[in-house]
Amino acid sequence: MFDLNFISGVYVFLTYLAGVIFILGVALRIVVYARTPMPVKIPLTPAPLTPMGATGRVASEVLLFKSLYRANKPTWVAGYIFHISFFLLILLHFARHFVYHHPLPSWYQLFVNVGIICGILMVLSLFYLLLRRMIVDRVRIISLFSDYLILIILMMIAVAGLSLNFFISASALTKIDNRLDPFITDIAAFHPINIPSNPYFLVHYSLTLLLIAYIPFSKVMHFVGIFFSPTRYMTDNPQEERYYKPDAEDLSL
Amino acid sequence: MAKTKAAYKVPILTGEIKIPKVVSGISAYEKMYQGEKDDMVALGFPASLEEGWEIKAVGIFKQLLSHNKALRDYMDICVRCGACTDKCQFFLGTGDSNNMPVGRAELMRKVYRYYFTPAGSLFKGLADAEPFSEEMLKKWFTYYYQCSECRRCSYYCPYGIDTAVITMAAREIMDGIGLGQKYSTVIIHKVFNTGNNIGIPQAALRNTLDDLEEEINEETGKDVKIPMDVEGAEVLLVPPSADFFAMPHMESLKGYAKVFYKAGVSWTVSSYASEAANFGMFIGSYRNTKELNKRIWDEARRLKVKRVVVGECGHAWRAMYNYSNTMNGPFDFLDNKYRQPTHICDFTLGLIKDGVIKVDPSANDDKIITYHDSCNIARGSRIGEIPGGQFTIPRELIKACANNFYELRNGTNKAETYCCGAGGGILTDEVMNVRIAGSMAKMQTIKEVMDNKGVNFLALICAICKTQFAKMYQLYGFDAEMVGGIHQLVSSAIIL
Ligand code: SF4
Ligand code: SF4
Ligand code: SF4
Repeated sequence: MFDLNFISGVYVFLTYLAGVIFILGVALRIVVYARTPMPVKIPLTPAPLTPMGATGRVASEVLLFKSLYRANKPTWVAGYIFHISFFLLILLHFARHFVYHHPLPSWYQLFVNVGIICGILMVLSLFYLLLRRMIVDRVRIISLFSDYLILIILMMIAVAGLSLNFFISASALTKIDNRLDPFITDIAAFHPINIPSNPYFLVHYSLTLLLIAYIPFSKVMHFVGIFFSPTRYMTDNPQEERYYKPDAEDLSL
Repeated sequence: MAKTKAAYKVPILTGEIKIPKVVSGISAYEKMYQGEKDDMVALGFPASLEEGWEIKAVGIFKQLLSHNKALRDYMDICVRCGACTDKCQFFLGTGDSNNMPVGRAELMRKVYRYYFTPAGSLFKGLADAEPFSEEMLKKWFTYYYQCSECRRCSYYCPYGIDTAVITMAAREIMDGIGLGQKYSTVIIHKVFNTGNNIGIPQAALRNTLDDLEEEINEETGKDVKIPMDVEGAEVLLVPPSADFFAMPHMESLKGYAKVFYKAGVSWTVSSYASEAANFGMFIGSYRNTKELNKRIWDEARRLKVKRVVVGECGHAWRAMYNYSNTMNGPFDFLDNKYRQPTHICDFTLGLIKDGVIKVDPSANDDKIITYHDSCNIARGSRIGEIPGGQFTIPRELIKACANNFYELRNGTNKAETYCCGAGGGILTDEVMNVRIAGSMAKMQTIKEVMDNKGVNFLALICAICKTQFAKMYQLYGFDAEMVGGIHQLVSSAIIL
């Protein structure tokens, strides 16, 4: 088979496992949500009259968190910073694959610095959200173990990622960088090779795998569910166009 | 059994809405009466709770999950961000954490996680999963009947999680195992028997209408009629049955009658479909909602009318507007020039704008008016052609008929309106303290305009709101006559 050391073998297996769990879990959820019928129209004011309008409305929720903005400004600020920085970090990690070539582009340090800033913002906003969860009594009383768990996993991922930039030497980082790219390329091509063995990196990588595998079972699935929320995506036109779902009849409204 | 007034806990009104201290279980002391055998059976539910209800409940739950996208979605995606926690008037009034929308929904999610998620069945307590125990059922019966299905929470939730959907599903599950709520089941049964919530039979209804005609005649000298069961009339008017006999609702019925009289539009009410309200919606039962709704369209067919107009009622309009076409449409036997159904405010305002009827706003100069957006209309259903018509049309109508109008505080009206505290099937005396608590938020904002603007009239377009506010006004120490329908204003202002 492949010429892997033991640690790499384990990680390669876990990487594929996490990938499969994530893809199947998310796909299954999309199928279930999409196929479950909605018996009646329940759009909520301000409800658009056309599908275009409804798309715009869902977009405003996904991109701007409009309802949260109406509900609670401080939570919106922290939640928005967290989501944006997290999203940018995901993008940057993918983009890195195209950026990290020798010789390094002149703006590579800038690229890295953006990532570091995002990482710091992510930790700070998560910390605010965690504190809020512990301090505001209305939120504390509804918080579950899993609500804390996900915050802590995300914070640890971010801190471990930042540690790569702050706690290890530049040469060690370059070593990881040089080996990471082929590792990712080859694992994606189903030709796994050895994983960079720096312990800081492995902590960051392990936690990320954990997160990816945990997502389908967690509330993080809201990133799928938000597209299937009838109060938001439905159009307000019950009189203009008959809405009828025969397979949803005779049960709850 | 009505409590004595001393047993009521009426908050002192300061005009401010404060977020209370959170206490779990503090409002559990008030419960609904359980549904009775005859009523439950008439609605197609088991007569009472029987052995093995737990398994049955889980079975119904499972079925609902696969037949209701909203429920399916909303069970999973709450992130417990807390944005909704201070948005429910029942939490603001009681301070009970189970009355925070997310707290209410979690009562169902605990059961959901136990039976339907891997984490819940593996880790139980750690995943906050609980079996459907008797204890849990008690909590459901308490807190899913302290929700008015007003959907204020959904307006603020980042995912639009609609706790009304969850409440309706919970009620459907409880009904399915024989644990119903007396108030709603009695009322639905009455409609099946007599055509209306109150249970007035045909002859008695005609008598009431005769009395009303006489009253109008004495007040105006005009021969205004309230026709009943007239075949071939142009309009079938379906008011909530409270309009036939409760105060201040009857004043609005007089208003409708005068509008039809003056506009020269032939119209009729029906003794078979003498109820616009649809309590099937409150208990979340598609089958019962459809059955109740069907009476109206059957009657429209039988009486060969051209259009259906709905009277002043909040959830009734939501059920008529949103569900009719789905459940009992299409309505190609009616005149497609008109919106089917049409809201009475839309109808009247149209006539005023077209100059068909004339109104004299100075007739209401003794009144300084404010308006409460009924939640089911505000957040659930449009009136008229344009989005937001449910806000503009009633206001335009008030302003056409009266000179002194003031809005309630921003953030507590239109789409952000608080519920009156008695919608969703909780307008019943055994939970009077919950009603008082639920009305507190709105009462504070009303108190504010009373103090600052001298408001002395609360205009409404919902039968439940009218009954609730008339009662709350008394309990909070105001005159119940300061509450009434918009068509009560029309009734005084219209020039006959
Ligand atoms: S606002 Fe929505 S997501 Fe947030 S706690 Fe309430 S129901 Fe859950
Ligand atoms: S629907 Fe209304 S009453 Fe029910 S939980 Fe939401 S805000 Fe409260
Ligand atoms: S009674 Fe009025 S305010 Fe209350 S639930 Fe109905 S429409 Fe809403």
